[in-house]
Amino acid sequence: MNDFAITDCWVRKNIPQCNMEEDTAARIQEILDKTTEEIKSVAVNKEVELAIDVGNLLVSDENALDEKLIRDPVTSDEYLRGLARDGVQALLTKIWELPSHQIDNSVYVKLPKPTTRLPREKPLPKGPILTKWEQYAREKGITRRKKEKKLWDETLKRWVPRYGYRKAQADKEKTWVLEVPGNVNPYEDQFEKRSKLKKEKVAKNEYQRLRNIARQNKIEVPKVGVTGSNFATPRELGQAMHHAKHATASKGKFQAEIPGEKKARGMGKKRKVEFTTGDGEQEKKRCLDILNKLDKPGLNLDLAINKQIKDENVDESLKRIGGKKYGRRSKMGGRHRTRSDYKGDKQGKGFNKILKGKKGKGKTRQAAAAGSQKKKAGKFDSTFKKSMGAGSVGANKNRGGKKGSKG
Amino acid sequence: MTVNVKQRVDKPKTGKGKRALEKREPKLIENTKQCLFLHGQKTSETVRQCVKDIHALKTPNGQLLTRKSPYLPFEDILPVERLLQKHDSSLFAVATHSKKRPDNLILGRMFDRHILDMVELGITNFKSLKDFKNAKVSSGTKPCMVFCGSDFEDVTEFQKLKNYLIDFFRGVEATDVRLQGFEHALLFTVIQGNVLIRSYRILLKKSGTKVPRVELEEIGPSMTLVLRRTRFASDDLMKRACKQPKQLKTKKVKNKSKDVFGTKFGRVHMTKQDISKLQTRKVKALRKTPIKKNTTKSVPNSGEPMETSQE
Repeated sequence: MNDFAITDCWVRKNIPQCNMEEDTAARIQEILDKTTEEIKSVAVNKEVELAIDVGNLLVSDENALDEKLIRDPVTSDEYLRGLARDGVQALLTKIWELPSHQIDNSVYVKLPKPTTRLPREKPLPKGPILTKWEQYAREKGITRRKKEKKLWDETLKRWVPRYGYRKAQADKEKTWVLEVPGNVNPYEDQFEKRSKLKKEKVAKNEYQRLRNIARQNKIEVPKVGVTGSNFATPRELGQAMHHAKHATASKGKFQAEIPGEKKARGMGKKRKVEFTTGDGEQEKKRCLDILNKLDKPGLNLDLAINKQIKDENVDESLKRIGGKKYGRRSKMGGRHRTRSDYKGDKQGKGFNKILKGKKGKGKTRQAAAAGSQKKKAGKFDSTFKKSMGAGSVGANKNRGGKKGSKG
Repeated sequence: MTVNVKQRVDKPKTGKGKRALEKREPKLIENTKQCLFLHGQKTSETVRQCVKDIHALKTPNGQLLTRKSPYLPFEDILPVERLLQKHDSSLFAVATHSKKRPDNLILGRMFDRHILDMVELGITNFKSLKDFKNAKVSSGTKPCMVFCGSDFEDVTEFQKLKNYLIDFFRGVEATDVRLQGFEHALLFTVIQGNVLIRSYRILLKKSGTKVPRVELEEIGPSMTLVLRRTRFASDDLMKRACKQPKQLKTKKVKNKSKDVFGTKFGRVHMTKQDISKLQTRKVKALRKTPIKKNTTKSVPNSGEPMETSQE
């Protein structure tokens, strides 16, 4: 600041000293103007200090504005330019103070990070989310094995890529003929079968990929009904309706029937009708299979050994304690007595008392079961009566009556 | 940058397509926000010129689509959202003109392909870039922005408008800037509900010091904006949009300092020193005397009767 003052004085001192022509005086005046213009101050004085965000090249000026000057169209432009100039000057002064470096003969500065928080364009990137397999592999500690990209093909006598470019071509070259296995229909197209299998594999992979995406995005994938495909067949729609209808607490028992509603097809198992003519071998096999299923006791070795050991133990202990090994149970309903029962007999320590007490307290199991059955029968009777509209006639009698009336 | 393409439902079929999609994925360090300039069904000369001029200032981060389309973002934002998604842009300016809202400019921005906030502004006192017959600034320069008026800090609507204007005009997030490259300055002044916009070219003059003296020359466009309808983001959404990635947050530097000469100092914290084990100079005088030895022995001596009892 002082430097400018000095130069100013120096110029002023010199002007009156020189007595030149008017032409030169004008020139001097010009130079003078230029210099005074050049030496305008760099400082910015504001009542409220400017808030500067250097990273965004942003200046916020909270000072009170002169409304009169802004309203007046003559002065407004000049006033606004002054405001802008002060702001920019303050900003650039701050930037010029930053550490600078040179690149290709021009001076650069490193701007600090912006402080004004602005919204992002897109949300934060999500980290890699593991697929089900990757998760499983991580748990089990399975690491990726590196496989060779090319494999030696014995038939083609050259290296063939494991997958990708030229793999399909090599496959085509190799499998110009396919063996028909002995156990299949000889008229089946093996090539078609092969391509179908491949397509299924691809479809499965795609399905798993989509399922992984669904899992990652926490989307619940319905397992039955219309699963969001563009086209649903009438059969699928019917099934979806069935499931929707049956998804009540009473399993759709009280759901009203829609007029013209058809029962959903393909819900139960379909009976396979076998051919009555033709393959005799197949039929024989089928019948034998059924027979095999019917009676096949088989020997469970563990069980048999355990049983043998147990029996031997019982024998031995009986020998020691002295007593009888129970033989065959009487057809009249003799009670199965265990080893401990014998023990009780011998020691005579009121075991029978306990048994007696038990007997006296309640019904035996059989009796209880019979009672409950009776109860159930009674209930059934009452409901049946209601529905039939008959008064005191028993269920069995009623049925008999019906038969009789028919006859 | 790890881009999770795995999550896409429709898989790209070609490598080129894959790369194009990867470009649109969310990134840690985002690219500069792109802007679409649109024309509504009916536009006036003023608003058309205004949009054109702002587009000129925004190049190369803007695209001007001049076909007439019935865009009414305040009534139905979906067509604009779709268009912006298609162009992978997140800023938009729609020019409309009606009897009710003459010379209307709608400015908005998106977050995650959906509208974040938008404001409707009426344009008055418009002066175009063309009306100022002088040299302009080179395109793509980062402007210096000056906001004047206390309303930008005190009134919520203008606070949010300020935030939008910064986002709209700031351009590239630069780290290294050339000192002679400061060319463009924008002035936003708020006074009695009106926002005055002025655009200047910066002239750096000699000042006799290292810092140059700044002079400004108006280059246009200049206009006065009146706030009409607004639709600002909820605080919750704004908070979500402003979330900073963990990786970009700066860590506080601890225990390191520099003195005036640029020497680096580090402060090291240590555990308490065990002085009893300290190895000192061996002096005869400090050696344990035989009497002392006795005294130290006397302590186990007290345990003698116990030994005997054990026997």
